[in-house]
Amino acid sequence: MRRLGYSVTLLLVCAVVGSASSAPRPAEPGEELQISDHPAGQYGGTLVVAQRSEPKTLNPVTAADAPSREVIGRLTADLIHINRSSQQTEPALAKLWTLSKDGRIFTIKLRHGLRFSDGQPFDADDVVFSFQLYLDDKINSPQRDLLVVGGKPIEVHKIDQYTVRFTLAQPYAAAQRIFDSLAMMPRHLLQNSYQQGKFTQAWTLTTSPAEMAGMGPFRVKQYVPGQKIVLERNPYYWKADRSHHRLPYLDQLTFLFVGNEDAQVIRFQAGETDIISRMSAESYALLSQQASSRGTELFDLGPSLEYNFLVFNLNDLSSKKLAGIAAKQAWFQDLKFRQAISAAIDRDAIVKLVYAGRGAALWGNVSPSNKFWVDQSLPHPPRSLEKARELLKAAGFSWRGDALLDPRGQAVEFSIIASSSNTQRTKMAVLIQDDLSKLGMNVHVAPLEFRDVVNRVFQTYDYEVSIMGLGGGDADPNPEMNVWLSSGGTHLWHLGEVKPATDWEAQIDQLMQKQMVTLKYKDRKHLYDQVQEIIAANVPYVFLATPDVMVGAKKSLANFKPAILDSNTLWNVDELYYWGPASSSGARP
Amino acid sequence: MAARRKLMVAAIFLLSLHGAILFAGFVAPQDPAVQNRDFPFVPPTRLHFVDAGGRIHLRPFVYPWVARRDGLYQYEESREHEYPLHLFVPGPRYLIAGCLAAHTHLFGVEWPAQLFLAGTDNYGRDQFSRILFGGQISLAAGLLATAISLFFGLFMGCVSGFYGKWMDESAMRLAELFLVLPWLYLLLAVRSFLPLHVSSTQTFLLLVAVIGTVGWARPARLIRGVVLSTKSRKYVLASRGFGASNAYILRRHVLPHTYGILLTQAALLVPQYVIAEVTLSFFGLGLSEPMPSWGSLLASLQQYNVLVSYWWMFAPAIALVLVTIGYLSVANAFEQQLQSDSI
Amino acid sequence: MKYLERRVVHGVLLLIAVSVLCFLFSDLAPGSFFDEMKLNPQISAETVAALRSQYGLDQGLSVRYLRWVKSVLRGDLGYSFAYNTPVRSLLVIRARNTLLLTTTATLVAWLIAIPLGVWIAGRGGAWEDRLTMAGTSFFLSVPELVVALSLLYWVVRTHALPAGGISSVRFDDLGAWAKLCDLAAHLVVPVTILVLASLPILIRHVRASMVEVLRAQFIQAARGHGIGRRRILFHYALPAAANPLISLFGLSLAGLLSSSLLVEVVMGWPGLGPLLLEASISRDVYVVVGAVMASTLFMILGSFLADVMLVVVDPRVRVE
Repeated sequence: MRRLGYSVTLLLVCAVVGSASSAPRPAEPGEELQISDHPAGQYGGTLVVAQRSEPKTLNPVTAADAPSREVIGRLTADLIHINRSSQQTEPALAKLWTLSKDGRIFTIKLRHGLRFSDGQPFDADDVVFSFQLYLDDKINSPQRDLLVVGGKPIEVHKIDQYTVRFTLAQPYAAAQRIFDSLAMMPRHLLQNSYQQGKFTQAWTLTTSPAEMAGMGPFRVKQYVPGQKIVLERNPYYWKADRSHHRLPYLDQLTFLFVGNEDAQVIRFQAGETDIISRMSAESYALLSQQASSRGTELFDLGPSLEYNFLVFNLNDLSSKKLAGIAAKQAWFQDLKFRQAISAAIDRDAIVKLVYAGRGAALWGNVSPSNKFWVDQSLPHPPRSLEKARELLKAAGFSWRGDALLDPRGQAVEFSIIASSSNTQRTKMAVLIQDDLSKLGMNVHVAPLEFRDVVNRVFQTYDYEVSIMGLGGGDADPNPEMNVWLSSGGTHLWHLGEVKPATDWEAQIDQLMQKQMVTLKYKDRKHLYDQVQEIIAANVPYVFLATPDVMVGAKKSLANFKPAILDSNTLWNVDELYYWGPASSSGARP
Repeated sequence: MAARRKLMVAAIFLLSLHGAILFAGFVAPQDPAVQNRDFPFVPPTRLHFVDAGGRIHLRPFVYPWVARRDGLYQYEESREHEYPLHLFVPGPRYLIAGCLAAHTHLFGVEWPAQLFLAGTDNYGRDQFSRILFGGQISLAAGLLATAISLFFGLFMGCVSGFYGKWMDESAMRLAELFLVLPWLYLLLAVRSFLPLHVSSTQTFLLLVAVIGTVGWARPARLIRGVVLSTKSRKYVLASRGFGASNAYILRRHVLPHTYGILLTQAALLVPQYVIAEVTLSFFGLGLSEPMPSWGSLLASLQQYNVLVSYWWMFAPAIALVLVTIGYLSVANAFEQQLQSDSI
Repeated sequence: MKYLERRVVHGVLLLIAVSVLCFLFSDLAPGSFFDEMKLNPQISAETVAALRSQYGLDQGLSVRYLRWVKSVLRGDLGYSFAYNTPVRSLLVIRARNTLLLTTTATLVAWLIAIPLGVWIAGRGGAWEDRLTMAGTSFFLSVPELVVALSLLYWVVRTHALPAGGISSVRFDDLGAWAKLCDLAAHLVVPVTILVLASLPILIRHVRASMVEVLRAQFIQAARGHGIGRRRILFHYALPAAANPLISLFGLSLAGLLSSSLLVEVVMGWPGLGPLLLEASISRDVYVVVGAVMASTLFMILGSFLADVMLVVVDPRVRVE
């Protein structure tokens, strides 16, 4: 009797432990796994990554900052995913989709038999619920605006248990890209708090792991405030490798919070972390000296997608009390003045001294690494102080001694603001100040605290010239709509335009609107090329440079495929594994 | 008198340091704002007495730096030609006292060799010159802020010590408040509402004003102590008996006793305020480019690669330590002098 | 009793004044927490405005302040926008880390200063005095910033000790003893910096007050009675010299939460310092107010405790 009692208890214990453990489960009948297309690896190991600052939340719907999104991206999955390597979309939770002829109706078929990380089934109800969350205007998700096309939010209808239909108010180019990074949320866990209006407080860092679930390769195991967050394998993850072994290979993924880039470098050098992402060129040089001896490998992936630029304050200042700046706008509005500044700036020095040679000079907003969208025919004029002087002379400027005077005899003097926490932009400002002093311009550099810069540029317009950086989100032009549309929220040089202030801005508006609803790539490229040419001719921004994306990893990490798009190193974390003898913790289904 | 002699030595040291900094234009071989973009992060120029051929030169000379192909910011000396060090050489233009232009520098070498006694920074600017010019700003900030603190401290200390009762209470409570203020935050706020035409003099003065006003509490307490003890002395009471007004008593009897404290406090506060300015500039809250300040010069050390690879960027710290040592020895000597005087 | 009551009332008034000032400054500094989102072209201005009003950031200063006071009285210190958690839990963890650092440093500094200062005063030799003055002057002249950077440089070059943080990566996998050793290893550098910053002054004060007491007549009498030197120093002289030292100790206590900001930021120690810096830069108002209030509270408590200790230890004060 007793022995039976023992064995029953033992069985029960095993069952309980087995269901709670994060060993990958064998494939169930009816479960449609996505088969990954890479060489098979082996199970085991913990990956340790350092982050510069702590995530603020684990709620995918409300998270806006990069560290939170980095962690959340490993815990969740989307319907359609952009493959970071190829920059094209591929099926994820959706196994296939169809687009109606008019480009407005998307019908998505989900994979059958999938489960959340807590074992509960995933189906169309969760999809509809998730979109409810994103579109709810009381929750104010940062991703809500992506789902508002043609002024109306996207409509979501459940067709059957595994089919969902999305209706857009107007055809939208590359509409499937909208779905990337829109995490699918578990209705069974969040329905209640949503109905009680408490959704925004859900899923903070201190929420117990049992209350959270996602479709990502990992689930939360432990959070130590101020230090790290530990993720463990999701035993129900819906991808498998070619040998039908369920992914991910790694047992654990740990994010350490180290405070700044230097601490990241120190930890990576000491072997405490396995991956380092987006480091600066100096760190790259430092780490590459000892890379081989420490068993690490560094990658320079080429220019990133972001662009840094000088923006001149061309806002309408009549209502604000900024008479001094309004007087200077006479210079900023002169095209030749802006062109002269663009000609005088030593972009090569910026790349050499700010990015230590690992970067690319820019003359437009599309980075040279964005092969699908960059206009190859744009001119890249070399730096020329003579040309700058000619342009200024033609615009009526003159010199008295060393100082540049405008047509009315005023000395040209202005200030450039930049975020003090961004050392690269501050360095660019210092170099530009020196360059422009050779033209006789008296330029001040004012490093201001980041939020102050944002406040002046977006709100009070109390600035003359600023160095800003944008871009980097996606290669596709659509996320840039708000930057180039005259009514857009990031149309920095002239915000709040009721109608386009100039002809060329009106032209850009038309072209951008058109490319948004054009479905064929070639036509869109042609339109976007024209936009780039207009921008280059009218210089609303003086484009400066872009840094290279540089990452590093231990050589023992296999399948490491860093990419230019976020998340540069962890986008394929479910495929990463360690070389070497199979670890003891690896369990084969 | 040992105390006297110590005071003299410390004072001379301090004066020569201040002199060098005051005449930074003359002593510095380069213009602090000129960017030699081909020479970022060059190590300090070495002074040689023995050349490649083994001959000894009486006059020290330098070899110019040349960039190496391999690695980032690597340099080697090119031994083709020696460039001797000369005194009183012509060089970049500078202004004496803000108006007279001059060209002669204390020492220098012929072009194309360049004298980078403390190496260069990220933009190829000569650190030694920047340290000298930066000293002008950091020291001036310290001195002015001390003046402000002592002024307020003297005023509040006298008022509270002399008039006593509720004035004393309220002044001391105010002092406690100031000792506890989040001055970093205050500075962030003040810095960001500066008018955009942030001329460097305005930022500088504002910085100085804030540091000075935040620090009046401690000297005020000390002065109050002195005033309290002097107030009850018999000759003061006698003076009152003769009909002396408060103002007279303050000026004639009380104030002279405070001079000792004021001087010692001044010698103690100046380095503290210089360090305060350096710390603020280190965090990026100080003057804007290209104005150097010891704090902004040290700020580059916050980057790991600079900390590890370019040791000469620590040089401003040496200047800071020298100034602090100078002032503290003077303060010490003052204290000893006061003690020996009062015995 | 009246004295204590007055001190308590003063303390409360001070806390109120500090909180008002904090709110005022946070209002003066332009921008709000959500400004960062304005830079993302994919988030519209309406969304940002809606978030601001959701968190009550668009209401007037007095309204916000009163709401905050009401919640503090209930024990709730407000909400951090950045971390999406109540300020109190955030502060508790960070304050614990800071206190770990500063109490260790204070203990070490005092445990070195008292015996050393007493011994030097006891020796009374001219060269010991000059050496002490020279040594303390040197360390006083080197600003904390420079000490911190130099030690960081040395540590990074020699890899002798961990270069920052509070624990290693594999901390959780270590046994209890190993965990303690790991913590100790991480404490060495920051504690050294703090000790080097405070030790010179402490030694000077201990020595100065001991020297003064040792000149007193009752010490001469004790010597005349043939009492041993060590007993005289520690049993007779030190308690008499304790008065100014206790005030100094009170200052040490008062600074427990605030004195280590620079060290924590440079060494990456996850304490109150970096939290305050980050929060004031990102305009996370309630965290700033909470952190400043916490350090103010400590200052008040520290000096209060020092007063109480003074009354207990020194009978001369009781007579007054």
